[in-house]
Amino acid sequence: MSVEFHNVVKRYGEATAVAGISFTVEAGTLVTLLGPSGCGKTTTLRMIAGLELPNEGRISIAGRDVTTLGATQRDVSMVFQSYALFPHMNVLENVCYGLRRSGQSREDAARHAREGLRQVGLESYEQRQPSELSGGQQQRVAVARALVLKPSVLLFDEPLSNLDARLRRQMREEIRELQLRLGLTVVYVTHDQQEAMAVSDRIIVMNAGRIEQQGSPRDLYERPATPFLARFMGESNPARGLLRRLGPETVRVRLGACEIDVANANAADGEATVAIRPEAIAVERPENGDTNSLAGTIARASYLGTHMEYSIDTAAGLLFATCPRVERPLAVGDPVALQLAPRGVIVVES
Amino acid sequence: MTSRAPLAWSAAGLIAAVALPWYALQEGLDSGAWLTGLWSSEDYASGFGQIVEQGRWWLAPVLLALMACLAAALVPATRQQRGTLLLIASTAGLLLFVAQALGIGLRGWTAAWLTGLFGELEVRQVGLGAGGAVVLVALLSLLSIGLALRGNFGGDAFVAGAVTTVAASIVLFTAWPILRILVQAFQDGDGVLAPVLLLERLATEKIWSLRCLSGGGRCGVAWNTLFLAIGCGVGTTVLGLAFALIVTRTSFGFKKTLRVLTVLPIVTPPFVIGLALILVFGRAGLVNQFLEWSMGIEPTRWIYGFHGVFLAQLFAFTPVAFLVLIGVVEGVSPTLEEASQTLRADRWATFTTVSLPLMRPGLANAFLVGFIESIADFGNPIVLGGDYGVLSTEIYFAVVGAQLDYGRAASLALLLLVFALGAFFLQRRIVGTGSYATISGKGDSGLPTPLPAAARRAAACVALPWAAFTLILYGFAFVGGFVKVWGRDYTPTLDHYAKAFAVEHTADGLIWTGAAWNSFWTTLKLAAIAAPLTAALGLIAAWLLVRQRFAGRAALEFATMLSFAVPGTVIGVAYVFAFNVPPIEITGTAMIIVLCFIFRNMPVGVRAGMAAMSQIDRSLDEASLTLRGRAPQTLFYVVLPLLRPALVGALVYGFVRAVTTVSAVVFLVTAEYELATTYIILRVINGDYGLAIAYSCALIVLMLAVILLIQFAVGERRLGRRAVALKGGPA
Ligand SMILES: Nc1ncnc2c1ncn2[C@@H]1O[C@H](COP(=O)(O)OP(=O)(O)O)[C@@H](O)[C@H]1O
Ligand SMILES: [Mg+2]
Repeated sequence: MSVEFHNVVKRYGEATAVAGISFTVEAGTLVTLLGPSGCGKTTTLRMIAGLELPNEGRISIAGRDVTTLGATQRDVSMVFQSYALFPHMNVLENVCYGLRRSGQSREDAARHAREGLRQVGLESYEQRQPSELSGGQQQRVAVARALVLKPSVLLFDEPLSNLDARLRRQMREEIRELQLRLGLTVVYVTHDQQEAMAVSDRIIVMNAGRIEQQGSPRDLYERPATPFLARFMGESNPARGLLRRLGPETVRVRLGACEIDVANANAADGEATVAIRPEAIAVERPENGDTNSLAGTIARASYLGTHMEYSIDTAAGLLFATCPRVERPLAVGDPVALQLAPRGVIVVES
Repeated sequence: MTSRAPLAWSAAGLIAAVALPWYALQEGLDSGAWLTGLWSSEDYASGFGQIVEQGRWWLAPVLLALMACLAAALVPATRQQRGTLLLIASTAGLLLFVAQALGIGLRGWTAAWLTGLFGELEVRQVGLGAGGAVVLVALLSLLSIGLALRGNFGGDAFVAGAVTTVAASIVLFTAWPILRILVQAFQDGDGVLAPVLLLERLATEKIWSLRCLSGGGRCGVAWNTLFLAIGCGVGTTVLGLAFALIVTRTSFGFKKTLRVLTVLPIVTPPFVIGLALILVFGRAGLVNQFLEWSMGIEPTRWIYGFHGVFLAQLFAFTPVAFLVLIGVVEGVSPTLEEASQTLRADRWATFTTVSLPLMRPGLANAFLVGFIESIADFGNPIVLGGDYGVLSTEIYFAVVGAQLDYGRAASLALLLLVFALGAFFLQRRIVGTGSYATISGKGDSGLPTPLPAAARRAAACVALPWAAFTLILYGFAFVGGFVKVWGRDYTPTLDHYAKAFAVEHTADGLIWTGAAWNSFWTTLKLAAIAAPLTAALGLIAAWLLVRQRFAGRAALEFATMLSFAVPGTVIGVAYVFAFNVPPIEITGTAMIIVLCFIFRNMPVGVRAGMAAMSQIDRSLDEASLTLRGRAPQTLFYVVLPLLRPALVGALVYGFVRAVTTVSAVVFLVTAEYELATTYIILRVINGDYGLAIAYSCALIVLMLAVILLIQFAVGERRLGRRAVALKGGPA
């Protein structure tokens, strides 16, 4: 168990940035802190690094209580959002920096630094100044610089936000690949849900200084516990439905004229909020004898190449749906009958 | 653009050539006597009158070129063609104008080969007057219109005009005078060029002797100046850094008070610290008196000489270094320091391997400022120097003293200029032009790392006693104005203030009988005229440099940077040389003082304006341009309102600096136009400390009031979000 937070609170004057959170990060896994901007992700990460100290609670790293230790004394290194490469040193000197500070001789430090640069594929760039590198290369130097210290935890704060879209995908794959290959323990901060799902073993979703839910990417997407999560992890349509329990694991949800049996263990009978994933709505032309479908009309239609997006007026409100069939699209005003797939209908509040 | 603008300018030029006297008048324009003599009077004639009636044929080509411009404005032509015609005609006119102005002076042709070529002249010419000036301005405007019509400067006549105005005024009032020093340094008393003379003047013991090092005797003034400047540069940088670190990187409780220190040098005439040091350490000062009283030690003149000047300059210029270094220390990215900490570096290692190296360019800059302030300083050496002569005082004595040796003054000024520019270029060579700018766009706003304990203690030990001592000195300077005779009779009195600022109430109304009133009002009046002009020119130049792309932009920027490094003494001497003979003959007038104020203080306005402007997003201008606002509209309705604080700052600075400056204007004042600072300096030289101190205090209080009033009116900047966290950060 590499990182443990116990009821950690961080306040700035009157304002509370982190309002009592507890979680653990297993060794050798990549855990992402995900949440909207201002929810306290960076603050949490900086508390792991020792750049901020908590007002309450306990933090331990690799089994050692580090609550009151500063950054220098913790076995942690960090890749900053702006990379924070030292502009007055070249690439090799940047990577050597931490090694020299930990007391290695000049030769040892240089040897380890070269090894680190090789791991990120920059062995031929050691004499460059940081300003002579592209954004992606600077990023890799920053990773190498943190990596060579062999920290028990490696921290990333929105590492991709200064890169363009294409490079972003490539870098996130590189980071994940490196983490798996070297078995690193990584805490990763982002506000991008897709990025989080792509790289993580586990995701901790934060909101307003608290943890909303944590789990594997699949858990969070398929079983969001709150309306906030349903909205934040992927898209979803909120709707009101009527609930009736059928068995210990199943409830029947009634939306307008259609009824869907959904897996759920704890919701009570009565009115409830459900979230409907757009890809779980099958949009069909109405036929005679349709049963168990939701009638509606197309209010907006757009063609996105890989799929169609529709907004549909129904008795349960305006629903947003995606449809992989693009060859014979529906037009605005067309009547439709919607079929709902049970795995895309989630009871979030009863 | 239609042909209206070129038409108007050509017409204005031609009307001036008919209806205004071409040459300067002894009595000025307001007498009105010239109105009747515009055609036939030798003194009063207009341009055309001078040509036809007085036989000054060389003005004819200039006016012909102006008429050609008028024709170019009238003929039907495309934009491009009209531009080309105007460009040719106005360039020809300007060249002819400059040629005749430089070629013919008070004594006919100014060079022997010209006399040989054209023969002896019967009539001569004196300085340029209203008519000539308007024609010159008209030609310059036509030139910029021509350029704009041809598509230069983005086809915008306003930008073209602004560039021409700024460039022409820098050439006329900074470059040309400095060039005159060069010429003067190579000339003998009769104006004959003799390059060896420069060597003779400069290669003397008095300038270069190094005897003070080997023990016997004094060193030359050049070495004196250099030693002092290096000492002052190092000293002020170290002290300034200590202050800056305390203010930005510790939770020291009296930061506001320390910040006040940065305002002091702006409002204080530079010699006031020297005066205060005399009150404490001088022969009749407190320390000497105490030593004599308690131990019977003879009072010494210890303070006069290197020690005194050095101390005074340290006190006077440390706040300037402080001001520079606050920005430098704040500019060190906290994220880099945090990165260093996550890389196992403790605070001390972070400070020495990351923070300090990142500050290096800024430290070099602070050193340069201290160095240049020191060699440019005139007030402290003249008050405290005693036998320890430096270049600025030597120059002064060569010009106003019994020697009256302009050649020597010019040579020494040249040397001073070489020192200043040498330091300037050396600094650029060593640290390069850029500082370590942050590399990438989006930043993580980290917290500045608190200072390591050892550094904090060192900074506090150096800076706090120093700050206390500075305040004590100011305190003594203040008290000194309220006692009868410092050192002998400490009876409280208001006599000095009464002598300076007495007002009598008589039957004829108020009579300003105080000795200071004359220079006081002159100073305020001239400074008030200069300040808006300084601010306007400075901000327009800044706007051009930051926002416009045009050929010669880099040269213009370099010229303004360079004039920042030229010591005031050099400018003062240069003005004396350049403007006491035609074509521009304005020595002894108020105008030369105003011009000197403007061009001394403009570089600072430019820098402040550039700093402020580069913080305003360029897309705002572009938005206005795409919304059909042309360049001047964009400047007035978008850029200027956003720049209001910078504008006000430039105004205040222009005013206050004009009031407190000494080194340049000491050469330009006359009995009629006497300034406060030069008046005070003379009182000090005569040993009349009481009056000098009283007057200085009145000035300081007045300037402080002006600044506070303006600060209050404009309001302070808001603080950053993360500023609060310094105390709450990792301890
Ligand atoms: N040094 C600070 N001083 C005051 N407030 C802060 C400071 N750092 C963060 N905050 C506040 O704490 C909250 C969480 O910030 P942060 O952790 O940076 O959010 P994010 O999730 O976007 O990284 C925000 O509301 C922010 O305004
Ligand atoms: Mg953040």
